[in-house]
Amino acid sequence: MAAENLIEVRNCTMVFPGVKALDNVDFTLLAGECHGLVGENGAGKSTLSKCIIGDYRMSEGQLFVKGEEIHIPSYTVRKSHEMGIAIVHQEFQLMEDLNGLENIFIGRYEKRGPIIDWKKLQKKGEELLEYLQYDLDLKVKVKHLRTAEKQIIQLAKALLDNPDVIIFDELTAVLQEDGIQNIFRIIDLLKAKGIGIIYISHRLDEIFECCDRYTVLCDGKYVNSGFVKDIDKGELVKMIIGRELKNVYPPKSEQFGDLLLEIKNFTSPTSFRDVNLEVRAGEVVGISGLLGAGKTELLHAIFGNHKLVSGEVLIKGEPVKIRNPQQAIKYGLGVIPDERRLLGLNMLFNIRDNTTLASMKFFKKWKVFQNHRKEAEAALEINKRLNLRYHSLYQLVNKLSGGNQQKVVIAKWMLRNCDVFLLDEPTRGIDVGAKFEIYSLISELAKAGKGVILVSPELEEIIGLSNRVYVMYEGKIMDVVEGENITQEVIIQDLLGVVEA
Amino acid sequence: MSSLEVVEKKNRYGKSFKSFLNEWMILILFIALFLISVVSLPKFRTTRNIMNILRQASFISIIALGEFFVILIGNMDMSITSIIGMTSIYFSGMVANSGVPVFWAILIVLLLSAIVGVINGMLTVYGRMPSFIGTLTVMNILKGIYFIYSKGLPISGLPESFNFLGAGYIGVIPFPVILMLVVALILHIFTQHTEMGRSFYAVGGNIEAAKLSGINIKFISVFAFVICALLSSIGSLGLTSRSLSGNVMIGENLLFDVMTIVVLGGTSLTGGRGKVFGVVIGALFLQVISNIMILMSVNTYWQWVVKGIILIVVVVIDANSKHD
Repeated sequence: MAAENLIEVRNCTMVFPGVKALDNVDFTLLAGECHGLVGENGAGKSTLSKCIIGDYRMSEGQLFVKGEEIHIPSYTVRKSHEMGIAIVHQEFQLMEDLNGLENIFIGRYEKRGPIIDWKKLQKKGEELLEYLQYDLDLKVKVKHLRTAEKQIIQLAKALLDNPDVIIFDELTAVLQEDGIQNIFRIIDLLKAKGIGIIYISHRLDEIFECCDRYTVLCDGKYVNSGFVKDIDKGELVKMIIGRELKNVYPPKSEQFGDLLLEIKNFTSPTSFRDVNLEVRAGEVVGISGLLGAGKTELLHAIFGNHKLVSGEVLIKGEPVKIRNPQQAIKYGLGVIPDERRLLGLNMLFNIRDNTTLASMKFFKKWKVFQNHRKEAEAALEINKRLNLRYHSLYQLVNKLSGGNQQKVVIAKWMLRNCDVFLLDEPTRGIDVGAKFEIYSLISELAKAGKGVILVSPELEEIIGLSNRVYVMYEGKIMDVVEGENITQEVIIQDLLGVVEA
Repeated sequence: MSSLEVVEKKNRYGKSFKSFLNEWMILILFIALFLISVVSLPKFRTTRNIMNILRQASFISIIALGEFFVILIGNMDMSITSIIGMTSIYFSGMVANSGVPVFWAILIVLLLSAIVGVINGMLTVYGRMPSFIGTLTVMNILKGIYFIYSKGLPISGLPESFNFLGAGYIGVIPFPVILMLVVALILHIFTQHTEMGRSFYAVGGNIEAAKLSGINIKFISVFAFVICALLSSIGSLGLTSRSLSGNVMIGENLLFDVMTIVVLGGTSLTGGRGKVFGVVIGALFLQVISNIMILMSVNTYWQWVVKGIILIVVVVIDANSKHD
């Protein structure tokens, strides 16, 4: 099939009241290619994709779909859909209580008179899955499916109308290694059929693995585009953040102090069993594992927020009982959960109140009243140390970017002066620049003699930051890797449950 | 970034005029409504009428402040009508029929109400019943119990001195008004300036985040129901004192007004947002509307229609203001 421009954007400018979100951006997508669209949060990636699918109407510029110029003022999502453009989002837009089949065909049921023809739908659904070469029971309610399987349902839904262009909007952000590999396989499949793919992702490794070309946006401006094979990661990062980043990961601390936290024989009813783990002062301990390996559950169990069948906890050598988060906090633990909007922050609170939420008792006036001024001063100081970007302490946290929100969550526990920080995917959905700041924060915490437990699906992050890595597979610790033995090969073997004879 | 402190000072409250308007819309509306009524209705602007409004708003706002705490944590207490009825009947029964001294009778009904609050909270927190259903059930059970006790009849014969609580004056100001202001002031300080008070907002805003930040969410949730029951009970004593008799029907039509007041006061029905003095203003607003309608001889049924429309308008505006 001859390569033709499926999508061509010329001089696209998108102005919102007070902001120029896109400034004179060019973009082309060829048939049968996977085109990586990269840039920091707020660089304009999603704005551009929304212009392409007709969610936004560009203020200036031209859009061509399959060589045909689009009349912008009358361009809508429905129209882009008819022209064969589909988008698959990171967030699940699925009805959890309906099964896979219904989710794929909702709104587009095959009917016989007023009655839904389930047999025909089942057949069509199976055809779609065959096309994706994925085995999945469509009769199961979506809420019982794994994340990767939900993505397949979303993809199947997008493929229903035989699109020529599919936008993958940070699809892999919530996926684990095996799920990502599966997406790559599907991308190859789609490419072979001549479908053009716009691939948006924060994970640069993925761009190198699955994309043919790239386009970089920075602050709404077009930076560069070209063939992925012509550049390396350093060059790409430089384009994305507009400066060079030498050491992605700060040097690891080597000075370890006393044991801060030991857990023994941790067993949960369903998620993990016989887990032993220890953290010393100044140490970053990584926990690696696929989705469903029990990492998050383990972290919550340490924090007293997950049911245990058995297990002992020792804090600084003393056996203690931790039954709920309050006790965990009393013993110097702090948790930075994976879902910061759902578990980490109160979105109705301002920065000050979120920062002081766990340490209110330290800011008392006459032992009863809260000293709001002292709270504000403390919150200001800690957030300045974290280089938080904000207008005012009294600004609601929901207006902050993901990276800055995460800093507020970390600030909360720094203010509480925790000894052990439990971090669950601290860089999820955060742009490159902010990621590096979080990395150096983690290393500073370790240098200050804190213990850190780091859970992350990104192997590179675990390898780059941890002094010791526990690898979990289906609820069990398969291996503990230390020091120079921490390499990608070793961990991946353990991750997949490969046991050497 | 270099002039952070400056930005900090200039933006002390980090709020624009618009969000100020949003938060205190009810105050502005109230002032407008009040001024218009003062100018256009001669019967409205008499001292006696104004004092009347204040007095009538006082106990209902104390009850609404109780409901405010439950709504603040994202729940709902439907049982307040029965707590009000129960308090009225058992207090009057104890004092008039069994000769229990007023002071002890008050303590006993407050204790009973607190127990009902604990039950409401336990059903919601430990029983995991949706609070709407849990408290609705408690409402009916309680109602059954005090109807059995009183056979549905009013209980009269309370001492004249008890009348002071609901009808007394200190100078020109009715005692209930002073009581309401004291209660509101204490609750304002409690919610804004104590650790426990802030915890209600934390629980209502995001219960999971609150839990992971070490807040005892179960205790806070149960406590909200206890505050609600206690304040409802205090409100009921005031209403009982005014008529000097216990009445099973005393709280019957109050639930709707209480909900309207709490929401009018800017409390979010999904929890986490609201102010004590907002609720007080909400109560005054509703009372002024009622008063105007009475002065203009609008009949009771039409008053229900008007109040219903007000609640719809406020909730619709509130729900849509979050969709920005």
